[in-house]
Amino acid sequence: MTHVFVFTNHKGGVGKSTSATNIALGLSSVLKSTGAANARVLLIDTDSQAHATLVTTGRKDYGSQDSLYTVLMAERQSAAKVMNDCIVQSQWNPDLYVLPASPMLEGAERELIGAAGAPYRISDPLSKIMSHYAAVVIDTRPSFSLLTEMALIAATDAIIPVEPRYLETVGLLSVITKINDIRDGWRIPDLKVSGIVITKMDSRIKGHTQLLEDLKSHPVLGKLICGVIPANEAVSYAHNNHQSVFSYDPKASASKAYAELVVTLIRRMVQG
Amino acid sequence: MPKPNVQRTSNLLASVTDEMLGGDLAAKLQDKTIRVERLLLELVRPHPVQPRRVLPERIHQAFHQQQLTPTQALRELAQIVQVAARQQSRPFTSVLDLLAQPEDESETIAELSPEETLLRDLVNLAVTIRDDGQVNPLTVVDVSEGVSHLYRIETGERRYWATWLLRDFIPDSNSDGTIPCIVIPAKTASVFRQAKENTSRSGLTAIAMARQAALRLLTVHNYEIPDYAVENDFYRQALTLDLRNKREHTDAILAAMGGIGRMHFSRYKALLQLSTKRWKPQTVITWKKAVLRHVIQLPSEAQSEMIQQIVQFDLTGKQVKEIIEHHSTSDLDDKPDAIDARLVKVMRAIERQTPEVFVQTLIREEKSTHLARARLQNMMTFLKQVGQLLPEENL
Repeated sequence: MTHVFVFTNHKGGVGKSTSATNIALGLSSVLKSTGAANARVLLIDTDSQAHATLVTTGRKDYGSQDSLYTVLMAERQSAAKVMNDCIVQSQWNPDLYVLPASPMLEGAERELIGAAGAPYRISDPLSKIMSHYAAVVIDTRPSFSLLTEMALIAATDAIIPVEPRYLETVGLLSVITKINDIRDGWRIPDLKVSGIVITKMDSRIKGHTQLLEDLKSHPVLGKLICGVIPANEAVSYAHNNHQSVFSYDPKASASKAYAELVVTLIRRMVQG
Repeated sequence: MPKPNVQRTSNLLASVTDEMLGGDLAAKLQDKTIRVERLLLELVRPHPVQPRRVLPERIHQAFHQQQLTPTQALRELAQIVQVAARQQSRPFTSVLDLLAQPEDESETIAELSPEETLLRDLVNLAVTIRDDGQVNPLTVVDVSEGVSHLYRIETGERRYWATWLLRDFIPDSNSDGTIPCIVIPAKTASVFRQAKENTSRSGLTAIAMARQAALRLLTVHNYEIPDYAVENDFYRQALTLDLRNKREHTDAILAAMGGIGRMHFSRYKALLQLSTKRWKPQTVITWKKAVLRHVIQLPSEAQSEMIQQIVQFDLTGKQVKEIIEHHSTSDLDDKPDAIDARLVKVMRAIERQTPEVFVQTLIREEKSTHLARARLQNMMTFLKQVGQLLPEENL
């Protein structure tokens, strides 16, 4: 079964796109280097801001004919073929593919109100082409909108990036509750919250270390922490240059932390 | 904008992998166990050089030249069949009408045209898949390049067409537009697997077997097998090749051809000499193995003559068998000199015969006008050759 990792949090600026893009690249590179028969990874950008699309493909001018918007508006029977046709190769790695977002996604939710099977407009076509990929990574917008719901219905593993701040950790519980509501409400038994990634961690800030300790000691949340990404300038500069953090500065602490997270996720993929 | 340093990325992630993955996990990632995956029908395509033609040649070529989509190809086939069926006073509107209806209690079984049989068999397979699911997955080779995702069928082209029929021509099929496949990486694809599956089935035409032989020969002689539709001249290149200097592949080739012998293989190969006219779809459909099984027993120089007669006089398998057996029996009964002497006597007596009476006798003896005509044609060819060999003056 192809694992579908969705990076989601209704708070903006927590590192969803950064994590999704770097993890997607990391998965494909590690799979390739280990000689896996299939190292193809698909990154789906559901955020109308299209940041993940921009950094991985160098473009953000995708529109009604060549983006996720096209897939959402396609007839049910042809949606899988349309999805396949809209996928482009990233500039980062020949095995990393991108289903680009479009600013038009902003209006897609309005257009889809009342449309039959609207919440399944990503999962249905994706289920027909995902065997082509070793893994799928979905980046979501900072809200629990219809598009985020579509992404979660299509996913197997929800990963929540969160900054180590008090209000963020309070919001974390509502994110987990919302994901569980979607799993139960839409009867998606495969979907699970499979990880929390602490981003922008600055060990010099006492509040950060304290919160991290608190989270680690929590009986449920502590087990979910799957990665701690240090606050690092390399991350923001890498995106400025449309590069992954691995290529921009492989020695940066964030690069190593993301690499460790990649390995953790690959272990989960292999172990099912 | 600086270009991404892919090498540097790989180095970092590869080193992390070595440190952290451990042997067990790496081995699991390289797991080569066979898995069945449901692939989108549109991403799967038959191999254009596949020797077995599921569709008539014209549609086959148009489909592989991207002039027809799979749905359009099947619609063309259905239209051809509708014309053929209408000529036989069996018009139909839905492809399901081709199947025997449970309420039809007539005892006479109508002989279907080859096209009707072809479509009926596909519809039957489609209905089986609808009712019982597809038990045997296709084997496909992943030939994707970049964003062009494509799986080339290695075995199972009939199931592929049946699934398209199910999706687009059979109401209430509930097809989700995917097909179960075993995906084989391009580097481990086997040119012999397709041949083995093909030859293990009945109904493969002798021409398809000839193409099969050609493909195997071309492959082991390192000819590039194209991934687009080819004309018959492509297969004819194999006429100049043989198994002699490819001993290491001989057993595999003969096994893939159904465990036939070398002589048998050569005779199939000899069929490639036939002109393209003889490869027409109608001919190919008609020439089932049962018909040409007898032909390939003949020496290659006699095969071409026999095939010409099959085409010219539309001989059935039974008639072909009779001609060949009669020919062989006569050969066994008489020594060549004795036959020649008898022929000379016949020639001397010919002045006393009248054509009208001879025609009646000929038809009575051969039991068929077709056979009689074929026999006469043989005789005329023989006499023509004798005329050419006869010297101008006394020796």
